[in-house]
Amino acid sequence: MKSKSRNKKIILTLAFVILAVICVLWLFPMIWAIFTAFQSETEIQKMDFHIIPVDFTWENYFKLFNNDSSPVLRWFLNSLVVATGHMCLVLVVVSLAGYGFTRLDFKGRDGLFLLLMATMMFPSVMSLIPNFKIVDAFGWTNTYLAVIVPGAAGVTNVFLVRQFMMAIPRELDEAAKVDGANHWQIFRHIILPNSKPVLMVVGLFSFTGAWNDFLWPSIVMSDVEMLPITPGLQLLQGQYMTYPGIAMAGAIMAIIPTFVLYLFAQDKFMQSMSLGSGIK
Amino acid sequence: MKKKLFWPAVFIGPYFLLFTIFFLFPAFFGLYVSLTEWDMYNTPEFVGLQNYAKILFDESSIYYDQFRLGMGNTLLFVVMAVPLCVVVPLLLAVLLNSKPKGHKFFQSILYMPTLFSISAVMIIWSFLLSLSYGPFRTWFGMDFDLKSTQPWAWICIVGVTLWWCMGSNLVIYVAALAGIPVDQLEAATIDGAGSITKFFKVVIPNLRFQLLFTTVTTTVAQFNIYGQPLMLTGGGPNNSTRVMMMYIQENAFGKGISTAGMSSAMATLMGLVIIAVSAVQLVINRRNAR
Repeated sequence: MKSKSRNKKIILTLAFVILAVICVLWLFPMIWAIFTAFQSETEIQKMDFHIIPVDFTWENYFKLFNNDSSPVLRWFLNSLVVATGHMCLVLVVVSLAGYGFTRLDFKGRDGLFLLLMATMMFPSVMSLIPNFKIVDAFGWTNTYLAVIVPGAAGVTNVFLVRQFMMAIPRELDEAAKVDGANHWQIFRHIILPNSKPVLMVVGLFSFTGAWNDFLWPSIVMSDVEMLPITPGLQLLQGQYMTYPGIAMAGAIMAIIPTFVLYLFAQDKFMQSMSLGSGIK
Repeated sequence: MKKKLFWPAVFIGPYFLLFTIFFLFPAFFGLYVSLTEWDMYNTPEFVGLQNYAKILFDESSIYYDQFRLGMGNTLLFVVMAVPLCVVVPLLLAVLLNSKPKGHKFFQSILYMPTLFSISAVMIIWSFLLSLSYGPFRTWFGMDFDLKSTQPWAWICIVGVTLWWCMGSNLVIYVAALAGIPVDQLEAATIDGAGSITKFFKVVIPNLRFQLLFTTVTTTVAQFNIYGQPLMLTGGGPNNSTRVMMMYIQENAFGKGISTAGMSSAMATLMGLVIIAVSAVQLVINRRNAR
């Protein structure tokens, strides 16, 4: 018995040490980036590799914000608009559909859902070019709509929300129905409030997904002023190939919003993963 | 009749409209376009299977070379990255599940990079891995650029990918490990099973579904590799990290006249490979489960 608890202690210590080392490695690039953004250009060019700035300076951020060919602040705002817009659209459309698929009885409902499921396997690369043409035909290129709308067609969110709404007890709607509520009222006052957990998760991931989207916005936004920050940074990289300080400042700008969300809603992000893989 | 369709139209209508326009229709449109010659602006001209013939069999065509190179590199990357992105987080999840001090904190750190924008991540890593600005010269006396020397260029891309996307699989495994019935593990201990036996006889079977799920989703995701080579190596050295998505993007949306038809054929071929690989994974797992 004694040797067992000692073994347990050794295992725990070992696990702690391995994890600690890996976490330091994991954090290292971020910490280095944050500090490098505060090192002056001359310090970076002249000195050997170091992390803590010798002369702490804001000049990289200052130069970054005063560059008209890479309007990072504008990109940041574009990203905020696009990510928020996309999140709202997804939440509205998906919660409505979730109700439809779980609470309405109409012919072809299950067939329709099977169709959705079947297309889930369809690789997105195959619809890239057609989607560009469709967005172009709507006259949406270089507008926010091009980045907000098409992504909302994804099937996964509908699946998650439907799954969740199915588990909400039917007795709740029945009681409301007896009181004479119609579908809209049941949706608005019973299903929607009860679906908050899954909608939070879907909302967070829609926001970060749109914020981090790279290829699609770079295709539909040819106007530099309209780029979100994630594809924008590719231009920035080309421009500041030999100015790590400024480039890092730009990268930090793109990371801050999702990082802040993560700080406040960590458990939601973690839950989502078990929601997603809980499909059986 | 009209009344019957009112509520479905209100609730499912909006999503169904989006789904049809931006998901279902593009799927078929893309297949059609891959059978045409098309510059994205004039009417597509139907040419049958000519694009596919060029890509797959015409050795004199540049698209033949592009597809071989791009698909080869993409497959190479998938073969290197997917096992790592499944096994490394699994091992870390087992460590986390032993609940050492600070395990929650460790988990948050390991998960964090998945939420960062790819271009920001690649900017940071490209400087970190460079000879001029990274630590490798100062700390290890290195005298060559990792990103422009093979096999280091691939090691960099795979390593950064692991750093960036391991977190979601990790969280899935941690949740699943917590759900393994304690009595199963205790029974195994009483039977005298060591940690390794327990891992293979109790943990792996219990995580079968999650392992399948993560393997398929990771494979599908990694086939679409684009940003890492684009921003780290630029496809170099000597096009050795130029992947399929880069050719698809360049042919359709790059400078010069668009060859969107050809590009669609390439995208369709890659799509078929993705579907085939995930189907094979599903079948293998079904068979093993029996």
